[in-house]
Amino acid sequence: MGEIVLSQVRKSFGGTSVIQGIDLRIEDGEFVVFVGPSGCGKSTLLRLIAGLEDTTSGTIAIDGHDATSLPPAKRGLAMVFQSYALYPHMSVRKNIAFPLRMAGISAEEQERKVQAAAKVLNLAPYLDRKPSQLSGGQRQRVAIGRAIVREPSAFLFDEPLSNLDAALRVSMRQEISELHQSLKTTMIYVTHDQVEAMTMADKIVVLNAGRIEQVGSPLELYKTPANLFVASFIGSPKMNLVEGPEAAKHGAHTLGVRPEHIDIVAEGPWSGTVGICEHLGSDTFLKVHVEGLGALTVRAGGEVDLVHGAPIRLAPQPDKLHRFDGAGEALAKALA
Amino acid sequence: MATQASRTAGRLMLSPAVILLLLWMIVPLGMTIYFSFLRFNLLMPGTEAFTGFENYSYFFTDPAFWPALVNTLVLVTGVLAITVGGGIALAVLLDQPMWGQGLVRVLVIAPFFVMPSVSALVWKNMLMNPVNGLFAALARGLGLPPIDFFADIPLASIIVIVAWQWLPFATLILFTAMQSLDREQMEAAEMDGAGPLWRFVHLTLPHLTRAMTVVVLIQTIFLLSVFAEILVTTNGGPGTASTTLTFLVYMQSMLQFDVGLGSAGGIVAVLLANIVAIFLMRMIGKNLEA
Ligand SMILES: Nc1ncnc2c1ncn2[C@@H]1O[C@H](COP(=O)(O)OP(=O)(O)O)[C@@H](O)[C@H]1O
Ligand SMILES: [Mg+2]
Repeated sequence: MGEIVLSQVRKSFGGTSVIQGIDLRIEDGEFVVFVGPSGCGKSTLLRLIAGLEDTTSGTIAIDGHDATSLPPAKRGLAMVFQSYALYPHMSVRKNIAFPLRMAGISAEEQERKVQAAAKVLNLAPYLDRKPSQLSGGQRQRVAIGRAIVREPSAFLFDEPLSNLDAALRVSMRQEISELHQSLKTTMIYVTHDQVEAMTMADKIVVLNAGRIEQVGSPLELYKTPANLFVASFIGSPKMNLVEGPEAAKHGAHTLGVRPEHIDIVAEGPWSGTVGICEHLGSDTFLKVHVEGLGALTVRAGGEVDLVHGAPIRLAPQPDKLHRFDGAGEALAKALA
Repeated sequence: MATQASRTAGRLMLSPAVILLLLWMIVPLGMTIYFSFLRFNLLMPGTEAFTGFENYSYFFTDPAFWPALVNTLVLVTGVLAITVGGGIALAVLLDQPMWGQGLVRVLVIAPFFVMPSVSALVWKNMLMNPVNGLFAALARGLGLPPIDFFADIPLASIIVIVAWQWLPFATLILFTAMQSLDREQMEAAEMDGAGPLWRFVHLTLPHLTRAMTVVVLIQTIFLLSVFAEILVTTNGGPGTASTTLTFLVYMQSMLQFDVGLGSAGGIVAVLLANIVAIFLMRMIGKNLEA
């Protein structure tokens, strides 16, 4: 069990309101990612759920019971912190066994669970080391191990991968996803990295300035962003946004088109010159200066080879255009 | 500092400072050792003569020697216990968010800026005086007989005064260490179900061991040579009840004008300090390794 329901949750620090009325339902077994720019209140929201901060108003229910004023230890949640937060004076074994020890579980049972967790996380050879003798990825595994042995009703992760290097991030990301597949426990994962959000989530919650901008599956957010913020936050490289007469032609204040939805065609309606050309092997990203529209990013095939200053004509895929009104809200999809 | 030439240049540049420091230390030490082997009394000029270990045997057989040694160790350990314990308590309190935090922190540090003799006088005349002192007034207010601190419990009184002076130092070091304690660690323990006492004993205290080691080592060096507080309050008495080694050396060389005996005592004090230092480094020095 691990169903978490937030109703009108607000949090202020002193006079500044950081979380401004969040309503959210997290189903049992779901992998939910909170994503948003740095400082938007993701950690604060997670800490409210964990019980490490008190809500200013609103309620948090876990498995149907009001948990708003329960202390953290009583909520049955486990958290993995960005800094790992391992106990430096204890061995890996003791770190992992710690929550069990606090729960008064027998020594044999502790050892059995530690061994099981160590096996899942490939930590068996390191059980007698101190955290300072481990690499970043191993420390992260220990922190996860400490969380799994508790068999919590939900896991909370606060940017757990941001201290790791890029390659390790990708593999840890997959490990956490696999862990979720095998445990089927609710996980709430905070990140500012939309790639992590897109790749891991069942459900993404996009936060901005303490408010939810949109909730949906990764593809929903990608295909039908509710507003300009979500449109430009989800997707890499970012969606191109065009204002002015070209947008007006489509009956919108702002017109959005993703780099992968622009084709290079000889008779395309937009003409411009190539600025820079980034080769990734599989793809090529072009920065094109289009007359009347400004700079657009275009994603082309890996074999495209254009030089700086080359003239080029572009055509957006008409059914993939996103239209936004003056307030930044999405309008119905453009008719082809 | 990679090449031969730059290393040589480095040594040359350093040498004046090193030589000066060495002389600064070696000359007084050498003279003290030299005097300690002489019969050298200021009241009998011109009678200086080499006497071997006679001064040392006088010093060791002085009836005040063993009490002084014990008093020194009691003073040092007593003050260390109070300052480390009190320092941790104050550091924990100062770490709590509260109104007027800045001012309170300054106030806590303040005793460190008061000269030892002045603070000892204040304690002696305003607080611990059996007739006019604040403590006596409090005792009378409660209907108890006032304590004559320096007559009845002289060493304990001095320990309190010295501890009061060193408490800010310990607090400052421990408080600084406390601020570097990882909040997330505490929160993780809280989520894992550890109570406040457990968190304090198993997370805060281990985190503070290095700072505690620094406090103990530095304070020991200074506490072995506590002097002004004794001179101002009890003058080592009654009897030898509050005489420490430092004070004994002073009494012998300054009050009895026996430079030879005083020097021998000084050397004994130096040896004692080294023994204590070696002992401490063995015991807790490993805490300083990263
Ligand atoms: N304990 C606190 N006291 C005051 N302000 C805080 C505190 N914690 C967070 N904030 C503020 O709340 C906002 C959101 O912080 P946070 O939730 O950490 O953002 P994120 O994790 O999304 O980067 C920030 O502007 C931050 O300055
Ligand atoms: Mg954060």
